[in-house]
Amino acid sequence: MDPTSSGQDSSEGATAFLLNARGITKSFGVTRVLRGMDFAVAAGEVHAFLGGNGAGKSTLLKIVAGILDADGGTLRYKGFDVDDAAGRMARDQSLAVVHQELAVIPHLSIAENIALPRYRHGSSLFNRAAAQRAAVDALSLIDKDFAAQSTDRLVATLSLHERQMMEIARALHSGAEILLLDEPTTNLTGQEAERLFTVLRRLVADARIGVVFVSHRMQEIRQVADVCTIIRDGQSAVHRQPVQSLSDAEIIDMMGQSIAAHDALAAAPAPSGAPSLDLRVSAEALSISGLGPEVAVGPGQILGLAGAPAGPQALIDQLIGEKRRAGIEIIHGGRPRIDRTPHEAVTRGVGFVSGDRANRGILSTLPIIDNMVASRRIAERRRLVRADEAREAAGLLAALRIKARSVWDLPSTLSGGTQQKLIIARWLNLRPQMLVLEEPTRGVDVGTKRDIYTLIRAMAEAGTTIVWWSTEQTELLELCDRILAFAPDGRATALLDRASLDEEALAAATGLAA
Amino acid sequence: MDRAPETAASAPARTGALRHIVSSYRSEIAIALAIVVLELALGIFVPNALTMGNFSDIAQATAPLIIMAIGVLLVVMTGGIDLSVGSVFSLVGMVTGLVMDSGFSSTIATICGLVVGVVFGAINGFLVTFVGLAPFVVTLITYAVAGSLAFIVTNGHSLPINDQGYWLLNGGHIIPGMPNFVLFCIILLIVVEFLLRRVVFGRWIYAVGSSPGAARLLGIPVHLVRFSVYVISGLLAAFASVLTVSYISNAEGTAGAAMMLQAIAAVVIGGASLFGGTGSAIGALLGALMITVIQNGVNLIGVNSFWQGSVTGLVILIAVLIDRVSKARR
Repeated sequence: MDPTSSGQDSSEGATAFLLNARGITKSFGVTRVLRGMDFAVAAGEVHAFLGGNGAGKSTLLKIVAGILDADGGTLRYKGFDVDDAAGRMARDQSLAVVHQELAVIPHLSIAENIALPRYRHGSSLFNRAAAQRAAVDALSLIDKDFAAQSTDRLVATLSLHERQMMEIARALHSGAEILLLDEPTTNLTGQEAERLFTVLRRLVADARIGVVFVSHRMQEIRQVADVCTIIRDGQSAVHRQPVQSLSDAEIIDMMGQSIAAHDALAAAPAPSGAPSLDLRVSAEALSISGLGPEVAVGPGQILGLAGAPAGPQALIDQLIGEKRRAGIEIIHGGRPRIDRTPHEAVTRGVGFVSGDRANRGILSTLPIIDNMVASRRIAERRRLVRADEAREAAGLLAALRIKARSVWDLPSTLSGGTQQKLIIARWLNLRPQMLVLEEPTRGVDVGTKRDIYTLIRAMAEAGTTIVWWSTEQTELLELCDRILAFAPDGRATALLDRASLDEEALAAATGLAA
Repeated sequence: MDRAPETAASAPARTGALRHIVSSYRSEIAIALAIVVLELALGIFVPNALTMGNFSDIAQATAPLIIMAIGVLLVVMTGGIDLSVGSVFSLVGMVTGLVMDSGFSSTIATICGLVVGVVFGAINGFLVTFVGLAPFVVTLITYAVAGSLAFIVTNGHSLPINDQGYWLLNGGHIIPGMPNFVLFCIILLIVVEFLLRRVVFGRWIYAVGSSPGAARLLGIPVHLVRFSVYVISGLLAAFASVLTVSYISNAEGTAGAAMMLQAIAAVVIGGASLFGGTGSAIGALLGALMITVIQNGVNLIGVNSFWQGSVTGLVILIAVLIDRVSKARR
């Protein structure tokens, strides 16, 4: 394994790169997203591709994957220009992608999901036995236990986590020479991420493949990547530099964002206008029993939920009136709290930010304004008062520094991270007694993370009780007053207090690596 | 390139094969049993129900519906819908009759009829796939257009078929002892079932219906799949039509009026989801059979035939509810 040499000696000879993009430009309407972006991947390297929300990262990845066409520039795969048939063939044969929005077919089996993309011709016979063998092979690369189970199971029955594993396994096993992994660790536990990195390292060393690795987690980037390219405002701010030669601060700085999670919290009253909004709430104490540890959270406190999805999900479902689980009892303000539907929960002061933004967060066909005031209308049984609402929405946008041309635009005109701020902002003026958050910082860049932390803290300080599930343990450790840890089987294993919060204790309680 | 470690367990044991077949055809087996129970119950009240004669009537009545339903099934499996099949059925019959009436051979007339079906399928496929219009809207348009053309071509008159040998297409025996309409249904069933289960194109149909976005990201030619199923649907509606013309020796502008809803009903009873991604040819065949058995039963019992629609509706409701319960339990 020699992290740097392969990149060095071939960096000038364009044909030596597996993937070589030069001066790529792309506009959507009047918005210039890419303005002459360079990006090249050599054989035998893990290449971190970094950039903030809205920098043009997703657009470049889509162009590389052949989903979008570039307006200008040259794009070569193994030396063949993609404008020619040979280049497109090289792309189709040598590239495998793990998409951020998982590309899985729910109604087909695991085996079919893994094997089907290998067939180029519809007239071929589909070999079920071979598909099963391929699936077992692929899955054993990353998880032996998963591989030991039936590959005839429908993907619809798999958890998000298992789907992610399957998609990664498919890419690893595809025989591709270029692997493009867009935030592949989002739904993985620490151990699984470790295994993924080990396999990547081996493939890079033995088979000399090139890996493009997109992540927002600095620790991972340090752990797995050899070189990095940083995109900023549609151009390469850093092109093919060894990761070791850059400090975290330099990398973050070049991404155009100045602050990491720790500093975000240290930074006194955030520049964003949260304080200019009146968020005061007179909330009441919340206690939860029946899980194991008795949990009591005062008004304005932040309760973190840590661990694999099973446990936190059950508690959250009950808190937001989605589904009652036997045994969990919630006391709020001295009385048992039973909400039979989410509607009831909302009208009685519970806010909820779903982790499934696309399906359960954003109202994609309604303009930004409706997305911002949707919950308020329900909670306060308001009739439409457009003038009022427009003013309120505009105020929120300004306070949160959300760049939108108009509140009447569709949310799809905003980047993913900004949409996330939008659905949190929904609850701000409502001043809920309790706000339940599912992974609010998943897949957003550090700058947006900072804004979200500030928002959460501002709401807590104003009196709202926060219940926050995250798989990113560092942020929980930083922000929470108390953390309820769940084992992978869904049992609550420990309630950690401010005084006893540390990474080892949390890792031990959740069974996940820190 | 082979860099996967050879750690693979050998392919799952063969003993699981039968169980796999049973479990993957669970809802089809349930419908088949329901049809048998229905027939037996009918036999208690009407002795004539369980005779070869009546079974043969049912088979003849259901054959065109089966053929059409299998075409609609493929469209529905991709998450689309084809409302035009009934009108195309009518139009194809009129065109076939007209061409024969103009002195051309029955072979040429039949081919002309099939071409009309393919053309309408291709128009549907083009507008849905390449123009990006909603399948419901597109096929509503072609439903209206084909329906009116069916009257325009002969100014509303029906056309008797004078070719004495044309009935052989439907009623002849290519294989001794088996009328052609039965043979065609069996061949179509086997071909489509094999296509769906064992041919990559068939798996693509499931994939496109299950998650079009993911299918595209995986490099599946979503456009080709979508376009093809509409063409196949048009072709099968046309084939169902020429068989019917051959059977009744007459072409009528209203021949297919009731068939579109019956075909969609057959697909739904057969376990396909209108959201796409699920379904089987056997299911569609059994669904069509179920509808015909109900109609036959209502006729034999002597109830006013106006009740047929209500009974069919009730059966669809029951079928869908059973399907839902069995899926929820799984």
